[in-house]
Amino acid sequence: MTPDSVEGRPSEDTVLVERAQRGDSDAYGELVRRYQGLAMRTAYVITGTTAEAEDAAQDGFTKAYFAIGRFRTGAPFRPWLLRIVANEAKNRRKAAGRRPTVDLSVAEERPSGDTALSPEAAALAGERRELVLSALRGLREEDRLVIAYRYFLELSEAEMAETLGVARGTVKSRLSRALVRLRELTAGEARPDV
Amino acid sequence: MSEPMDERDLDRTLSTIGRDLAYPTRDLWPEVRARIVARGRAPWWSRLPLGPSPLPVAATLLVLIVVLVALTPSAVAFAERVLGVPGIQIFPVPETPSTRPSATATPALFTGTRVSSLAQATQAAGFAVQAPTGLGEPDAIYVDKAPARVTLVYTSRPGIPQSPAVGVSAVVVEFRGSFDQNVMGKAVGPGTTLESVAVNGTPGFWLEGAPHQVFYRDPAGSFVQETLRLAENTLLWESGGITYRLEAQVAKAEALRLAGTFR
Repeated sequence: MTPDSVEGRPSEDTVLVERAQRGDSDAYGELVRRYQGLAMRTAYVITGTTAEAEDAAQDGFTKAYFAIGRFRTGAPFRPWLLRIVANEAKNRRKAAGRRPTVDLSVAEERPSGDTALSPEAAALAGERRELVLSALRGLREEDRLVIAYRYFLELSEAEMAETLGVARGTVKSRLSRALVRLRELTAGEARPDV
Repeated sequence: MSEPMDERDLDRTLSTIGRDLAYPTRDLWPEVRARIVARGRAPWWSRLPLGPSPLPVAATLLVLIVVLVALTPSAVAFAERVLGVPGIQIFPVPETPSTRPSATATPALFTGTRVSSLAQATQAAGFAVQAPTGLGEPDAIYVDKAPARVTLVYTSRPGIPQSPAVGVSAVVVEFRGSFDQNVMGKAVGPGTTLESVAVNGTPGFWLEGAPHQVFYRDPAGSFVQETLRLAENTLLWESGGITYRLEAQVAKAEALRLAGTFR
């Protein structure tokens, strides 16, 4: 996860958005490049495929472009954009008639980046990772998404609320419930939800 | 599995997974921009060349200048904020309108009631109508009342070629911005340059190049195409709450000189 695509720079965003609203193409292009990585991740954890994620992200940026004139000056751009992208991704997944999925096979195939672990600790970490990935697939979509937004996209609570279209309190309770559910699944104390 | 994970283990494992996830990364902007253009509703700036380009910006510029017939306070504030000229506003154009002359162009140019003098025009329009003394007496004067608009027609003037589209040398259109919420626009497509100029000490705009097309925007914000009103070069400015538009096939310097003769 690259800092550029995740770390918020609201003041710079505001300037870029205002420039884009005045018709500055370079400014909108910079916004796209600034958030394309995050938009791709958002779409990816929903669609589960690279092709659909790219398509959703591109359409999300396109829709945001046409809506930016109505964007409220000073409001946070990142969650507003991600909500649009997430909706695009959900629409694709529904249109494809597939059940919700988060394709984490890429993570499964990648070794942990932590080379400081002992062989035993690395084996344990790998085992836990497999267990968590498997459990994630057993969660309902809303639980899976709230975890993905928190841990994979590193969104703040406020951004999660905006992106999910729910109140901050709902985000807290949903994340808490999802983590409890995930832990139950990893411990074999519950059956998968899906 | 040796032992169940506690909260901390789970938190750490999820963070590690997030860190290790490899997402496709490539520049989406070129394709996003292509989709924007493909939708056919691209704001004018989306058609600007990105980055260094041998094409002059003007060649791909697609802007819309809206001359507000009726300037609500908010519209005035917006126009001033955007351009610094009350009554003139730039905003995205859905697509480049056709600028093909049509047989109906001439009748549309002379809408309203014809009056015989500037004094009558002033009385009918409700504001002091001015005319460029540099062009002599207008050959025809028309007054529209809904919304109020005065059109001065100069059919033939030495040194000013007649427009092939409407068969006149020059047209002056004047508006007062306090009638209703209609706006009239002038689209500027590729081949036309837009330049900010000072007209009699006030901000204005000079449009030069391909013919423009004029149309209105209704109170709901939708554009309504006016029967073609074509012009080559156009000078736009505002003075004393009145927006002036001088359309004539003259150079910028001559247009500015003529603007200085408005009395």
